[in-house]
Amino acid sequence: MKRPLVHTFKIVVLAIAALLLNACSNDHTLGNLDATVFVRHKGADMPAYIKGNAEEKVFLITLHGGPGGLGLGFRGKAFQQIEANYGVVYFDQRGSGMSQGNYSEDDVTIDLMAEDVLALVKVIKRIYGNDSRFFLLGHSWGGALGPATLLKDQSEFLGWINVDGSHDPKDLYFEYIRNFERVAAAQIELGNSVPFWESVYDELDKVDQNTVSLDDFNRLNILAFDAETYLNDDGLINDEESGNVNVSDYNVLTFFWNIFKIQSILDDDLIGELSFTEQLSEITLPSLVLWGRYDMVVPEFYAQEAFDNLGSGEKKLVIFERSGHSPMFSEPNKFAEEVLQFMGQYK
Amino acid sequence: MKRKSLLPLLFLLQSTVFSYGQNQSKDETDTPLSSAYFWDRTEFKVGLVGTVFWSNGLSVGAEYLWKENEKTKTRRGEERTNIHQFLFNGNLGFVTNFSSKTDTGAYTNFGLTWRRTNKKGRQFSIELNPLGYYRSFLPETYKVNGESVDKVFLPGRGYYAPSLSVGIGRQRKGKVRSGSYFNINYTMRTPYNSGALPTFSLQYGFRFNFNNKKP
Repeated sequence: MKRPLVHTFKIVVLAIAALLLNACSNDHTLGNLDATVFVRHKGADMPAYIKGNAEEKVFLITLHGGPGGLGLGFRGKAFQQIEANYGVVYFDQRGSGMSQGNYSEDDVTIDLMAEDVLALVKVIKRIYGNDSRFFLLGHSWGGALGPATLLKDQSEFLGWINVDGSHDPKDLYFEYIRNFERVAAAQIELGNSVPFWESVYDELDKVDQNTVSLDDFNRLNILAFDAETYLNDDGLINDEESGNVNVSDYNVLTFFWNIFKIQSILDDDLIGELSFTEQLSEITLPSLVLWGRYDMVVPEFYAQEAFDNLGSGEKKLVIFERSGHSPMFSEPNKFAEEVLQFMGQYK
Repeated sequence: MKRKSLLPLLFLLQSTVFSYGQNQSKDETDTPLSSAYFWDRTEFKVGLVGTVFWSNGLSVGAEYLWKENEKTKTRRGEERTNIHQFLFNGNLGFVTNFSSKTDTGAYTNFGLTWRRTNKKGRQFSIELNPLGYYRSFLPETYKVNGESVDKVFLPGRGYYAPSLSVGIGRQRKGKVRSGSYFNINYTMRTPYNSGALPTFSLQYGFRFNFNNKKP
């Protein structure tokens, strides 16, 4: 009886050792980075996926949307080109993607999440040296977390790239209403998807025009994504590539559970409450503002507002004429070109 | 939320215990166990466990037969006899995501299995493991505390992880490979990011009784 048991035990131990080895290996070769590193900070373990070519030790730290989005969700044609030139750090924020930890709901604040980003910078420096240099890029919700981080400490960064970022969730609800009215009127005049745009007016009648509620905000947010689909069907927004996230990269159940949880915690503090508009003038880094002309999720109005209010003397606004909320997927080549030019100029 | 997740588990636990404690009906009899010896009553199991697309791995375990009874009922004029068993159950498993390195962990759990076996050897089982522990294993991890950044030795986190499995199987009487099983498993990991993370997995494997003579 003992022999088969010992044999089975040996096989199991060997199999587990092989699995563990695979789970822990990292490639920190600067010219071809492929590493997954966790940042442990104030009760959370957050993965940073470090990829690309960091021979110059220049890193682009990306902040995903959501809250609750995926760090690797940026990957696609545009970021492939950026990775060829610089190190790119894709970061699953606290309570997002494959982040894990043990903390109370009361502990989760935007302030703490900004500290998490600065902790990530310290970890990258620890691994690749204190001479590492950083740019910060935020998309959508990352456009709120970015300013929150920079207002804490911008000395670590060479530049700020705002991609359709929501620096003002406080007034976003009312801008949704104004923007829907504007775009619906224009599209009906052009004869594009008329039944849909007429139904938008019906939807606007259903929401409170004077007071923000989370339900109404979510209703308009979903409508905004729908609207971009119609703008795409009518040929105003380019087809978006699906990106390079593999289904195996994220456990879908964990991702969905995390996104519902973190949004249920943060939404009350964001929607109708948070605004960095007044403080953008304190950000004096070189800044690049990238926006889709037909962004219905964070309307184009905020591109100009961000650009006008940023305190930097060196700033540039680029509007992507055939894009909605995610120009990195609808105009990837132009997106990469703008980012690379900006990083090349200020690195 | 915590209370809500615990309620079904408590219900299953109490129904397992109380249904066993009920008076036996006329067609229910205790069967003399084939042997009172420990090794005769103990089966080992080895199996694959995972979520197919994400974390996958191996699981080993043991089951000790605690109680057994035979129930006979008549259906469509035909007598059917099923064996009902209660087994103490323990598992040790290791899972990883080959693609991402972010979903690796080991777990152990202990509890009670109720299993029904029909005359043809087909089995249905419910496995409740209220005592469970999951330990995640993270790749290279750095702890940031103020200005200090330290590499963490054997990084990961421990979670209380009770589980419930429902499955089917096949018995092979008198053989060393004494059966096979296929379970759908629900495990909760808590506290996980200020809540309790539900996870589902599939388990497929074989049971062994090394005291049986036939291979």
